[in-house]
Amino acid sequence: MYGGDEVSAIVLDLGSHSCKAGYAGEDAPKAVLPSLVGTMDPMYLPQEPEQPAKMGVDGDNNNAVDPKTGKPVEAAAKKSTRKLYTGVQAMGYRRDHMEVVPALKDGLINDWEVVESIWDHTLRERLMIDPKEHPMLLAEPSFNTPQHREKIVELMFEKYQIPALFLAKNAVLTSFASGRATSLVVDCGGGSTTVAAVHDGYVLQKAIVRSPIGGEFLTDCMLKALEGRGIAIRPRYSFKRKEVRPGEFELTNVDFPNTTESYRRYIQRAIAADVKESVCRVPDGLFEESSYANIPTTPYELPDGQTIEVGADRFKIPDLMFNPALVQTIPGMEKFTTEAGASVKGLPQMVIESINKCDVDIRRELFSSILLAGGTAAMQQMKERLEKDLIEEAPQAARVKVLASGNAIERRFSVWIGGSILASLGSFQQMWLSKSEFEEHGASYVHRKCP
Amino acid sequence: MGAKMSGMAVTEECKEKFMELKKKKTYRYIIFKIDEKVQQIVVDKAGAPTEDYDAFAACLPESDCRYGVFDFDFTTPDNCRKSKIFFIAWSPDTSRVKSKMMYSSSKDKFKRELDGVHYELQATDPTEMDLDVIKGRAS
Ligand SMILES: Nc1ncnc2c1ncn2[C@@H]1O[C@H](COP(=O)(O)OP(=O)(O)O)[C@@H](O)[C@H]1O
Repeated sequence: MYGGDEVSAIVLDLGSHSCKAGYAGEDAPKAVLPSLVGTMDPMYLPQEPEQPAKMGVDGDNNNAVDPKTGKPVEAAAKKSTRKLYTGVQAMGYRRDHMEVVPALKDGLINDWEVVESIWDHTLRERLMIDPKEHPMLLAEPSFNTPQHREKIVELMFEKYQIPALFLAKNAVLTSFASGRATSLVVDCGGGSTTVAAVHDGYVLQKAIVRSPIGGEFLTDCMLKALEGRGIAIRPRYSFKRKEVRPGEFELTNVDFPNTTESYRRYIQRAIAADVKESVCRVPDGLFEESSYANIPTTPYELPDGQTIEVGADRFKIPDLMFNPALVQTIPGMEKFTTEAGASVKGLPQMVIESINKCDVDIRRELFSSILLAGGTAAMQQMKERLEKDLIEEAPQAARVKVLASGNAIERRFSVWIGGSILASLGSFQQMWLSKSEFEEHGASYVHRKCP
Repeated sequence: MGAKMSGMAVTEECKEKFMELKKKKTYRYIIFKIDEKVQQIVVDKAGAPTEDYDAFAACLPESDCRYGVFDFDFTTPDNCRKSKIFFIAWSPDTSRVKSKMMYSSSKDKFKRELDGVHYELQATDPTEMDLDVIKGRAS
């Protein structure tokens, strides 16, 4: 047992789009940073004097040898020599050959080195704490695997030497924070959307329904839709802007041929995401091209100074959450449905599918406690539309109620906020998995302590 | 195995009063609350057998959470007298997030201490627990 109430706990929510971190008991995370890092292959790094050139000029890695032992460098060892750039600022600076690599793939941690780099940066540079002194509550995807959980536990105790830890499922945190031990949580995040039923504080694993349609997909569609209209989304590094006369600017293109495609996309997507977040609004009903052809447009000023007008796309892009087939009408995205399989469903269908996988006894209760969470749920009219569609499609007897915090910040950070409050409760302090318990029972003990 | 998210203690009085409601019908309802200072679930109020459902509902604060049990007596269409015990988790939207979190994370553990509850419901506004809902569940 860990008596953790003297120092405040740290709450970490590493999502597919961003990592949220801060102190337990606070209303919002102190640090929010991208779940991506910039990476540089060692062959592009300036050679350090004591390390003789490791590779041929052609970059033939297969012949690389370790300078100290003279042995060939293993793939894993080579990987760890890449340099990582973490955090918005480090990534905001363009570097030749810098690639952008995500920490998660399909909602699960994929690159541990990237994750560690994000955690290091978050704890030491952003929160400026010594992890040895703080218990750590980590939010995890509802479908996290036992292997991932154990690895997280090992890293936290062995590398960061934290005194105590708890793993809590995203959906449970959202559910508890809204005062419900039983609910259906619809989490529209970055990389995906997850619908999970929580019953008496547990996620019903068999009823989890996921789709790759989340905020990042909408961002891609926005980018393609704008490009399809001939609008160039120019990264800030790719031009110089000079004021030739008061209020009048002249742009000159700056060419950096060694910029990677992944970096260029990362910057363009950040711009498209801002367009999306600024102008989008979920339509009241199914989007139809004809009825939106003449709606008033909304202006948006791009970083290069050009003002674009966004019309029907304001409504069409968000409608993809409800009606994924619309993707067929977005130039360059047509392949999506064939690649992701015909199984991609809209939100209302996902909700109904998930509820139908639960026991008959609790379905009624789930229909009346649908919680909308995640960054993409911050879009205007999302809750109203989901409720309307569900009322039409749910069984007659069901009383449909969709709930979402009125405040966009609270919707976006519902998981983190849930963790923050849980970890600060007096009644929670005896629930921590302590370092000594970890040392005694091993990492698999986490499945007992944090089911 | 309970949802291991809360170590909230439950006073003996909660269990005793619940047993009296169940076995002796000494009470129509009991309202429980969390005493934050001592981290315990305590009895907030116990209503006499003569009180009705409206009296019970009226005891639930407008903007704070509570747990309640209500002993619902009714007659079936074939004239059989029955009694069912309801457990209600009351968590109005206007209550503090901290309060919502305390009550929802401790609910499972608490309910396990009350042996003999027939039906359970959670309510965030009065319409989710009005008498028709209770009647619908009991029949
Ligand atoms: N106001 C907004 N309108 C639309 N999308 C938004 C808004 N705010 C954030 N998002 C989107 O939400 C996504 C991130 O959501 P989040 O729940 O933090 O993701 P994750 O948990 O997967 O990291 C991003 O794609 C971002 O563009």
